Amino acid sequence: MTVLSCSGLRRRFGDVLAVDDVSFTITEGETYGLLGPNGAGKTTTISMITGVLSPDAGEVLVAGEPMSIHAIAAKRLVGYVPQELALYPDLTGRENLRFFASLYGAPKSRVDHVLDVVGLADRAGDLAREYSGGMKRRLNVAIGLLHEPRLLVLDEPTAGVDPQSRNQIMDNVRALAADGMAILYTTHYMEEAERLCDRVGVIDSGRLIAEGTRRELVERLGERDRISLLLDGDVTHAAAVLGSIRNVHGVAAHGQGLELVVDDARETLPQVLSAISADGVVVRSAEVTEPNLETVFLHLTGKALRE
Amino acid sequence: MKILSIGWINVRRALRDRTGLFFLVALPLMLVFIIGAAFGGAGSPVLGVVGDAGALRAESAMQVRDFSDEAALRTAVEHGEASAGLVRVAGQAPRLLVRPDRTGQQLRMLVTTVLTSEANRLAAGEFVASHTGLDAATALSVVDSVPVEPVEVRTTTAGEALFPEDFSGFDLGAASQLIVFTFLNSLTAAAALVETRSFGVTRRMLATPTPARVIIAGEALGRVAIALLQGLIVVVGSALLFGVRWGDPLGAAALLCAFALVSGGAGLLLGAVCRTQQQTAGAGILLGLGLAAFGGCMVPIEFFSPALRTVAFATPHGWANDGFAALTRRGGDILTVAPHLSVLLGFAAALFALGAWRLQRAVTA
Repeated sequence: MTVLSCSGLRRRFGDVLAVDDVSFTITEGETYGLLGPNGAGKTTTISMITGVLSPDAGEVLVAGEPMSIHAIAAKRLVGYVPQELALYPDLTGRENLRFFASLYGAPKSRVDHVLDVVGLADRAGDLAREYSGGMKRRLNVAIGLLHEPRLLVLDEPTAGVDPQSRNQIMDNVRALAADGMAILYTTHYMEEAERLCDRVGVIDSGRLIAEGTRRELVERLGERDRISLLLDGDVTHAAAVLGSIRNVHGVAAHGQGLELVVDDARETLPQVLSAISADGVVVRSAEVTEPNLETVFLHLTGKALRE
Repeated sequence: MKILSIGWINVRRALRDRTGLFFLVALPLMLVFIIGAAFGGAGSPVLGVVGDAGALRAESAMQVRDFSDEAALRTAVEHGEASAGLVRVAGQAPRLLVRPDRTGQQLRMLVTTVLTSEANRLAAGEFVASHTGLDAATALSVVDSVPVEPVEVRTTTAGEALFPEDFSGFDLGAASQLIVFTFLNSLTAAAALVETRSFGVTRRMLATPTPARVIIAGEALGRVAIALLQGLIVVVGSALLFGVRWGDPLGAAALLCAFALVSGGAGLLLGAVCRTQQQTAGAGILLGLGLAAFGGCMVPIEFFSPALRTVAFATPHGWANDGFAALTRRGGDILTVAPHLSVLLGFAAALFALGAWRLQRAVTA
């Protein structure tokens, strides 16, 4: 079931067209990564999705409810975790959560629940300003979970946090998605997007320039997985044998080494090893190289994600 | 309910700020005390005495403090530790040092009266002794046994006094400090509103199912609650600690509420207009002290020139000051201050309208 549907979103600030005709959907239980360099339009898109900003054109529907600045029903369905630490540092973690629970109309029992979820129950009575950067980030996430939203929007939730807190946040996101929550996730960390996101959209200069799973994007760009082998035996014969395997699209020999261009390296590797063994050639090493989102991103935008 | 939540979080944050608490509670009451003491307070004036104080020690209208020498006494009078000093050495006519203020002159009158009375008693005793052959002590006891009824003098006040007879220095300072600090702290507390926006909390609130108008109303309520709290601290604290009288309770409460609304509105507007906390603090202090000065919080409006008095009544401070003066100095009630209330509520409405408009733009732009 579609939880978020954005169609034709457009937003201009003066002469700058920040978001131009952005459309995408997210279904229940899906984690969608919105990737783009700084100033690409991610936060503006998120602001329109969360009802903080009005689009000049286009429409956002959350579980069928239209979203706008004045929308109430749609906002009940969205949990928002902004990029900045949007909390009161001079209140305790619990006080911050109680305050936002009152705004969301969430029961007080949810406060203790989300404190447990993000691992802050034992520090709930401390002032937020006394928290480490990672703990503040987790509190930031907890606020977005108070009202059990259908859609959770996380804008760079792990920026500048320690590995432990980052892992905890990522574990939380995975668990929430497994429970059926739709998640919109932006990040500067490509490995996070690869580990978490079922699909990604690449946004640049306000336009969504590509969208799909990692594999779809990689294939669309003509990038393929590679398997590198170091062999003992007749390399030329081995190359001929491997070239006949269905998923293998190219074989190149370099001394005792072979480089194979394949469709899905993880799936193909067992077939490759089995075919070589049957031919009496010994495999001394095997290495799989998969084109990643960083490659895709660089190809599409001409920039690294963290630029 | 959400309005109350947002308002309450503002008050809670203000109460958690230790520096802010000093300005909210301690400083206004300290200034009431300092100004009250400087203008005579409410205690008995001090008469310093070198030598025998005699009957002066029994006077309830003053306190007698003994000094060992004239130099120390002069220093005490010059420094204001004593309002007057009496040098009374045997064989010499008494000499009196007085401060050039109202209390000093009052003490001069009192000391002269007591010393004259004492001299008259001794003269009467000598007269009795010389005509009856009694010893001096018995003669004085005869003089003391003669009942002398005090002469009743009927007094009619003519003209208008600036301050009532029983108006203490504390009464004078308290209303001014209430107005200064209620307004000033509302403006400086507006930094919290800027902070809330800069933290992204306001945007986050807007992402909750809470209409923008509720967020703005909640923030406005927070400003008013802090201003009201400040006013109540000065009113109750000064009444309990220094015996300050605020006049008609209903009128004083209405004036306090109206001025808290003005202050809250000004805080909302400043918090909506400024982009940084530094801007808020700078503009807050400038406006807070400037309007206080023009509004008669530093010097009573009655001492202003006609032109400056017109300026005073262009500020909410001027109207609040005059309103409290009507209650505390002129015995007015809520009807007397009805015009003041109307003007203050007008100021409040204008400030809230502007503040809400600016904040709405800042939040939803």
